Amino acid sequence: MWEGVKKVIYVITVLLGVMILIFLMLRIIPGDTASVLLNDHVNQEALARMTENLGLDKPLPVQFFRYLTGVLRGDLGQSFYYNRPVLSLIAEAFPNTLLLSVMAALFAWVFGILAGVISVLHNRRFPDYLFSGLSLLGISVPVFMTALFLQYIFYFRLSLFPQNYNGSVYSMILPAVALGWNSAGSIGRLTRSNLMEQMQAPYIDTAKAKGMTAKRAVLTHGLKNAMLPIITMMAIQFSGMLSGAVITESIFGISGIGKLAITAVQTRDMPLLQGTVLFAALLVAVGNIAADVINRVLDPRLKNTK
Amino acid sequence: MNKRVLKFLCLGLILPVMTAGMVSCKSAGSKSGADGEIHLAIVDDIVSMDAHKTSNDYIVPMNVFDSLFSIKKNPDGTTEIVNSLADSFTVSDDGLVYKFTLKDGIVFSDGTPLKADDVKFTFERILTLPDSAQTDFVIAIDGAEELLNGQATELRGITVEDDLHFTITLAEPFSGFIAQLATPSTVIYSRKIVTEAGNDFGTVPEKTIGTGPYIVTAWNRGSSLSFEYNTRYWGEEPSVKKVEIKVMDASSMNMAFQKGDLDILDCLFLDSAIVDSTYKNGAYKDSLVSVDRLGTNYFLLNENIEPLTDVKVRKAIQLSIDRDSILQSVYGGDGKLEDGIYPSGCLGYSQANQGWLKRDTQEAKKLLKEAGYENGFDMEISVDAGAADAINNSIQIIAENLKEVGINANIKSYDHASWLDLRNSGKMPSFVALWILDFNDPDNIIYTFFGSVDNTVSRSDNYGDTATIARVADARKIVNTDDRMAEYAALEKKLVQDDAVWVPLYSLKHTYVKGSRVKNFTPHWAGWSDIYFSGVELF
Repeated sequence: MWEGVKKVIYVITVLLGVMILIFLMLRIIPGDTASVLLNDHVNQEALARMTENLGLDKPLPVQFFRYLTGVLRGDLGQSFYYNRPVLSLIAEAFPNTLLLSVMAALFAWVFGILAGVISVLHNRRFPDYLFSGLSLLGISVPVFMTALFLQYIFYFRLSLFPQNYNGSVYSMILPAVALGWNSAGSIGRLTRSNLMEQMQAPYIDTAKAKGMTAKRAVLTHGLKNAMLPIITMMAIQFSGMLSGAVITESIFGISGIGKLAITAVQTRDMPLLQGTVLFAALLVAVGNIAADVINRVLDPRLKNTK
Repeated sequence: MNKRVLKFLCLGLILPVMTAGMVSCKSAGSKSGADGEIHLAIVDDIVSMDAHKTSNDYIVPMNVFDSLFSIKKNPDGTTEIVNSLADSFTVSDDGLVYKFTLKDGIVFSDGTPLKADDVKFTFERILTLPDSAQTDFVIAIDGAEELLNGQATELRGITVEDDLHFTITLAEPFSGFIAQLATPSTVIYSRKIVTEAGNDFGTVPEKTIGTGPYIVTAWNRGSSLSFEYNTRYWGEEPSVKKVEIKVMDASSMNMAFQKGDLDILDCLFLDSAIVDSTYKNGAYKDSLVSVDRLGTNYFLLNENIEPLTDVKVRKAIQLSIDRDSILQSVYGGDGKLEDGIYPSGCLGYSQANQGWLKRDTQEAKKLLKEAGYENGFDMEISVDAGAADAINNSIQIIAENLKEVGINANIKSYDHASWLDLRNSGKMPSFVALWILDFNDPDNIIYTFFGSVDNTVSRSDNYGDTATIARVADARKIVNTDDRMAEYAALEKKLVQDDAVWVPLYSLKHTYVKGSRVKNFTPHWAGWSDIYFSGVELF
């Protein structure tokens, strides 16, 4: 119980810290939304009028207090740039990001764990080299390369997939693979190394002594024990994906959280940036807690530790 | 058990790949243009569909709304103002009172009739919206300042006689006024539609209703815009009936065009090396469509920053830049040198002010010596990090050119918002940029940069001669067009040749590639990236 309260306090502190940091950072760096909106039709009068309209002429503490009271009421404010409520912008973008993340994570987990397991079962033989190589490729090739490569092969050459996300689950497959490729690589490597370690453990010998085949011992006993750190990694990666994958979203034309956040930075849209960052911070915090909880469920030994 | 798990895992991996093989992706429309559908792409999504709230995104205002007038480009390259929603107008001899008659029978796409009162409503809205980006376009109307400052509740310069007739009185004569009414900045809204839509106007497609040839049917933020032909449109029926615009990055655009999924490709978005190799010299060379852009690329010097305060130094800079080699190497020769402020094709373009500027590094060095900078000096050229590669490449060459006469130019990069902020504050030392005409009148460009002390600050030129600034503002009031153009030519000479506050560079062509389904394509008259869909004719 106390653990739970501590976690909630931790999350609130993180969120408050993030808010203050973003708020101050956006005030320190030059540039403001009024200039971006007026762009080439600027004159000093229009600039002053718009700055006043956005409330940017008020002293900093007033601006921050106003924002904070809004957030406490569940109102993330109005985006300066889009002139729409931040909450509805996030609510519109999140389903796209969610679909992308879920599909990318599924791909990463299935492919990553499978690659890891096959590598161990065929240790130092061809499948091991193949999948280890693929995993290494996964973690070393940047996502924009993977994305363009996939587009080139599956859209341009083979005409199997649409180039951009068009609202269908099918059109999300390429972006999901592009985004998940990287995670799949790291999960594959982690699965392999953890499983190898478990293979040396005495209980595997016991299982083998009881007549189990090596393959069966790995899959029934080894894998479960090896999964703990992998699950932590999966949860953190997943919450990271949910908070926005800017590059993947841009290349495949997905209007997600990542694109929203980037626009917010470029246009100095304080409420929108605060909103997206808060949202991301919340997801990461929840992701961490979820990983904790799952670990405790899977590993009875952790239940009594503080 | 474990075999089942393994099987399941394998299926999870293979299934998507199998379905991929079975379901082939839908292609973008038929191969002929018979379906009347075109597919276009833009790099950045629009911010608003409301013309009053943006000075960048005109694709919706241009195609879904109409202004009182529009611009027609003649085959010889000249432009003329033609009636759009307006049927006719007269001007009083003193240039102050404009009497307009609207075309009869025009309706918005939901059937609401267009009335003269809608014009009054539209112009009042431009002046009273707190986040209006277009106030400059109606500020000439009598009483506009008062309405803008909150001292009035109505625009007294507009009187509505009946549903078709209205009169606009200007505070002072301004001959560019009709040209301003021919821009997408002043498209006409319906009082009824806008009031009923409230905050949804400009954000919700079904509620963003105009009189123009198209209706917005969908706007998926960050990914796409869809349009359909407005069957109630009063004008000629366009060849294109349906438009899909996707937001995509440049490399995807290039891929999609070559695959046939895009019908028009805007070369401005692509790297000039790709344009050269793939399009200008490749299989597409007969499908190129070019338009002279009514815009000047310029290098602006801040008179407040030492030693740019010295006219000799500024003249030396004018003389040291090898504009021809920039034009050839960066832009493949697709443009022409400009020696003034107004671009070729602009009303009042003065041939007499051309041809005087030739690169002369000896003369430049001599001027620097006279100014006391024999050993050169350091200066900053501020560049917008979001600027096109071509702009960055031009600045590199400019810096090299300046080095040859001893000036050490440091190129400093700012992100877009910071760059704008620095420029608006009047503290940007020097920069290279482009001004494309909003309406075809020299006032549009010269007033923006030199029309008031405020404007010289916002553009970071800080031009100090207040007498000339007053002349620029007064030139608007000259009623006789020939006299007005003569004054603009004289002002151009004074600013560029005598005071050297402006380093003229060149005007460029804007090139597009049309796909196999497109028969004809007429780009925007001034070469904007936004296009009129009705300018596209399909096979």
